[in-house]
This record gives sequence, structure tokens and C-alpha cells, in this order.
Amino acid sequence: MFTSYLSRRVAAGIAAAGVAVLPLLPAAAQDAIKVGAPLPLTGPLSPEGLKQKRGYDLWVETANTKGGIKAGGKTYTVEIVYTDYASNTPRAVQSAERMITDDKVNFLFAPFGSGATKAASAVSEKYGIPMIAPTASSAEVYDQSYKFLFGTLTPNETVSEPIAKLVTENKPNIKRVAILARNDLFPLAVAQAFEKAVKAQNLEVVTFERYAIGTMDHAAAITQMRAARPDWVYASGYINDLILIRRQMNDLGLKPQILTMIAGPAYPEFAKTVGPLAENITSMSWWHPAVRYKGKDVFGSTEAFNAAWEKKYGGEADYVDASSAVDGAIIQLGIEAANSIDPAKVRDAIAALDVETFYGKIKFAASGQINSLQPPVFQLQGGQPVVLWPPAIKQGELRFSP
Amino acid sequence: MIYLQIAANGLVLGGLYACIAVGFSLVWGVLNVINILHGTFIVLGSYIAYFAYVHAGIHPFASIVIAGGVLYALGHAIHAGIINRVIAAPVLITLTLTFGLDLILNNAMLVAFTADYRSINLARPLGTLEIGPVFLPGDRVAAMALALLLTILLWRLLRDSRIGRAIVAVRMDREAAALMGVDVKRINAITFGIGALMAGAAGALLSIIFPISPLNSATFLGKAFVVCVLGGLGSVPGAIIGGIVLGIVESFGSYWFGPEHAVTISFAILLVLLFARPRGLVGRRGYE
Repeated sequence: MFTSYLSRRVAAGIAAAGVAVLPLLPAAAQDAIKVGAPLPLTGPLSPEGLKQKRGYDLWVETANTKGGIKAGGKTYTVEIVYTDYASNTPRAVQSAERMITDDKVNFLFAPFGSGATKAASAVSEKYGIPMIAPTASSAEVYDQSYKFLFGTLTPNETVSEPIAKLVTENKPNIKRVAILARNDLFPLAVAQAFEKAVKAQNLEVVTFERYAIGTMDHAAAITQMRAARPDWVYASGYINDLILIRRQMNDLGLKPQILTMIAGPAYPEFAKTVGPLAENITSMSWWHPAVRYKGKDVFGSTEAFNAAWEKKYGGEADYVDASSAVDGAIIQLGIEAANSIDPAKVRDAIAALDVETFYGKIKFAASGQINSLQPPVFQLQGGQPVVLWPPAIKQGELRFSP
Repeated sequence: MIYLQIAANGLVLGGLYACIAVGFSLVWGVLNVINILHGTFIVLGSYIAYFAYVHAGIHPFASIVIAGGVLYALGHAIHAGIINRVIAAPVLITLTLTFGLDLILNNAMLVAFTADYRSINLARPLGTLEIGPVFLPGDRVAAMALALLLTILLWRLLRDSRIGRAIVAVRMDREAAALMGVDVKRINAITFGIGALMAGAAGALLSIIFPISPLNSATFLGKAFVVCVLGGLGSVPGAIIGGIVLGIVESFGSYWFGPEHAVTISFAILLVLLFARPRGLVGRRGYE
């Protein structure tokens, strides 16, 4: 009793002090929109977490230097509240909740990847805070009829069907496909979508192996795949898995005519790290700097986004960078359309968006997942990604290894 | 025929595991310190080899000397300056201490080198040896052979040198060794330094095989743990046998049950062994 009385007294005291101080605060401090971003800034997923952060930071900088966000007759600046959840999904969920209850964020960016996004979406739904996910593509994330979750990667089928068609059209004698998938939400789901897509093209899946998270050696799986004599090898995982798999394929003499890997080759550091072994690897990406869109978002066009990226970070953005930046731009478009920062109104405005951006057309399905993009297929040729599909932005022809 | 390839894969992997574990085993066995820093020491050795290769063109195999030397100095200093202060405390205290030091060193590496994966692409790789149906990756086999050679050198050092005998004496009975005139503090620091040296050398060897990032340290530490418990603590032959057993079990386990179960199988075997033979396969009280 005594402690609760005491804490009430303390709380009342703090509240009184707050009321006294409030009128003295500069107007700008009141007119800030806070967006929470729980990120894996350390731990195994930190390379991905840092990419997301770069995208958000570029959006904040661009939005604030262009005069902030206007809604309801006020101008707001944007501020991001970051926490590091150290690649530990339960901590991502806790930090999302703390950001809503303690930091009073108006909106949220989702943590990295399908698994953590799905876990955190329960929190954003509970509190009615719109959460935009830059890196969750698996349909399983969006199948809970949640109203406050939106994602800017298209479903896994959209990165599987085009390449299946492209390969069979170019080389009908490719018949036998071997699949090696990381036993993890996204890598497994995307590999299963790929399996379905190649079966639809009448190809035969000769092996489908899964490997555990943190596997240090793929020799057994590769030996088994080699014994199945595949024409086409498909491996899913994250960048370190794929580097190791590519090297061990070479060590153990597994040399398919075509090698597809996701998600790693879309990052510029992949080709740099793998060196000559990166040649002819095909992959898919939800966005590519070669696309050309004019948009109503804060960046204005793909060229302008690329230029802003180059200026701030040097080099080219990859799809994680771009998807993270566009997620900020989507919150901004939602606020402007709702003419309010009320989370429920902004949520409705985002759900109703049908707008061009530097990232492509933004339109969400009822599930909250974007359904208006055509993710490009590309191949690493001479250390550089060359877009093979869609035809509108095609840069070269599909090559096969001898 | 595929079994020959799987056995070969397991042997090569096992040799590397032995090399990862031997320094960890030595420190645990002699000092009774569970050195959580070990994985980070290995990664630091890999970075030394990486930068030596990229900036000076030094082959990672030659970098064993540099990485080993730097890590010895670091290990010796960390022990003499920090760990020695609590060396007589219960094992949990030193474990917590090395855990804290690991957080500091690992995060310092994340800041200095970033988490991006790097890898050494040798200008002249050894290629693949094909012996009938068996493919042997040349660089891996060479790394494994060097790893085993280093491990055997360590074993000879422990058996045949004055320092080695002193280390073994401390392991067997700290008080008695002190009574015989062994400077236990000095031997402790040297042992910790040798453990770090072996980690650094292993890191240099592994730099041509695994992508390099501070994030790998936990994986290396986990393997070292299993190998030590399998083979027996503080024993050099134990580390070799434990490593090779783990490599072969993982290799066949992946083949029979699928790669997603490889880790489950190795830990299941670990549990059985802890139950049936808690000293490890070749562990015994005392020392060789």
C-alpha cells in the first residue's frame, strides 16, 4: 500500500512538473513523428539490420530536409527510435512493445525477416499501430487477417515463377533440379515456392535438402546432390550460408549448368566476397537500381533515389536498402493522405494507397502484402548484376555454365 | 561408393574441428578456465590472415606464425593482467569473466571490421584432387594436415619440453607443482597464451575455408565445446579423436537423416557419452 501510495505521489509530482515545463518546450519538439525501428544491429543478422537502418536514415534525412511532413495544418519532423534486438526474435517483440508503451511511437518499422516480422506483428495489432515490413516476403506472415501490418516485398511465388519460365524457355534440355534450403521461415518458404514453380514447368526435383541454421559444413548435402546429377541447383539462405555453399560446391565438383541462389547475390558484397565463383549465379531481387519509376513519394524517382543514396553512402542500394527507404516514404504518403497522424486513420490511408514511387507501384492486397511489383531476375556476369527479366528493364541474356 | 566420399568429408571436417578445439581443451584442462573468448580468438586469427593476404600477399598458411604470435601475446597479457586475479575462484567466476571479455573483444571487432562477411580468394588455389569417385578439396586437406601437424607439435611440446612438463604438472596438481618450484602464475599465463596461439593459428587456417566475420565466433566456440567433451578435457589426442569423431558423425548423420539433423545427432551423441563415459573417449585423470 505504502509503495503504491508513494509511487502515485511521485507520478503526480512528475506529471505536475511536466505540465509546468510543457509550455516552455520549443514547438518543434512537440511536432515530431516518432517511428520505432527494432533492428538486429548486432548478432548474425546485423548485416541485414544495418541495411534497414541505412534505408530509414536516408528517408528521415530526405523527409526532414524537404520540410517535414504536413498533416492537419501542422508540420512534423520525423524521428526514428532505434533499438538493437541482437538478432534475438523474442527481444524484437519486447522492444516493439516497449517502443509503443514507453517511447510512444506513432508508427513502427518491422524487424528483419519474415519470422521476426510475424512475431512482432501481434504487438502492433494489439496496440493498433501501423507497422510496415521491408523484409518479410513469406505469405505466412500475412495470413492472420491483421489490419495494421503492411509489407513491401511481394510473395515468394513472384521471385520463383519468372526464373522457372525464363530458364525453361531458354534451354529446354534442363530437366533435373536439386534444391538446398536453410531450415528457416523465409529460406524454406521461398525454396518451396521455387519447387512448385519448376514442377509447373515439368522439371523434375531430384533432391530437396534442408540444412540447420548455423551449419558450418555442407559437404554431405552437396555430395548427395552431386550423386543426383542435377542440371540446375537452387540454394536458399543468407549471405554467409550461400558463400560457404558456393565454395563447397566447387570443392566437391558439383557443377550444374545453372546455379540460382537467394538471398545474397543481390547484395554487392556477395560478388566481391565470392570472387570468380560468383560468375553466372542467377538470383532474384524485389527491387534493382536499374528500374526506372517516377513517383509521388518524397524521393520523386528511382534516379533521384539512386543519386541520394550514392551521395550519402556511396555505391548502389540493394532491395533491402530500397524497401526500407520506401517504407518510410509510405508512412509519409499515408499521413499526407489521411491529413492526420492518428494511427487508425493513417492505417486506412495506407491500405487504400495506389501510388507510384521510386520503388515501383505501391498497392497492398487485403492481407497487407504488396501485390503491385514485378521483382527482377538477374545474373552475376563479370562480377556485376545484369537484369534478365522483366523485358522492360532487361540488360542482357541468360548465360549457362558449361 | 558415396560412403567413401562421405567418410572423406567427415575426416577433413574432423581435422578442422580438432584444430578449433585443442587450445580450448588445453586451457580448460590445465587452468580449469572455460575460455569463452576462444571463438573470438579464432576469428581474430582469421582477420590477421585476411589482412596479411589482402595487403601484403602473405599466404594464410604462412600467416599462422603471425596470427599465432599476436594471439599468444594477447592471450598472455589477458591472463597475466586480468584472469590471473581470479584464477583461484570457482569456475563460474572465470567463465563469467571470459564471457564479459568476449563481449568486449567481439563487439570491438564488430566496430573495427563490421559484421560483413569477408573471404580470402586465393590467387592459386590447390583445386580439387579426384581419387576415383572421391573428391578432395585441396586447400581444405592442406589446412587439415597443417592443423594436425600443429596439434601434434603441441603434444610434443607438452611431453618433451620443460615448459610442457611444468604445464602438465600444474594440470595434475597445482599445489604439488608449486612446491616443486614451478612458478604457477607464469605457467598459467603461458598456457593461456598457448591456447590463444592455437586459436589464432586455427583462425589463419580456417580463413581460406569459412567466410570471416565476428559473428562466427559462437559457432566455433560451440564446436570446441562438443569436441572437448567428446574427446576428454585437456588431452591433445582427445581433441584430435573428438574432432574426427564429431566430423564423421555429422557427415554420416547429414547423409542418413538430412543435414538439418546433423547438429541434433552430434549433441545426442554428446549426451549419451556424458552418461556412459563422462571423462570423454580418451580422457583420464592426470595427464599423459
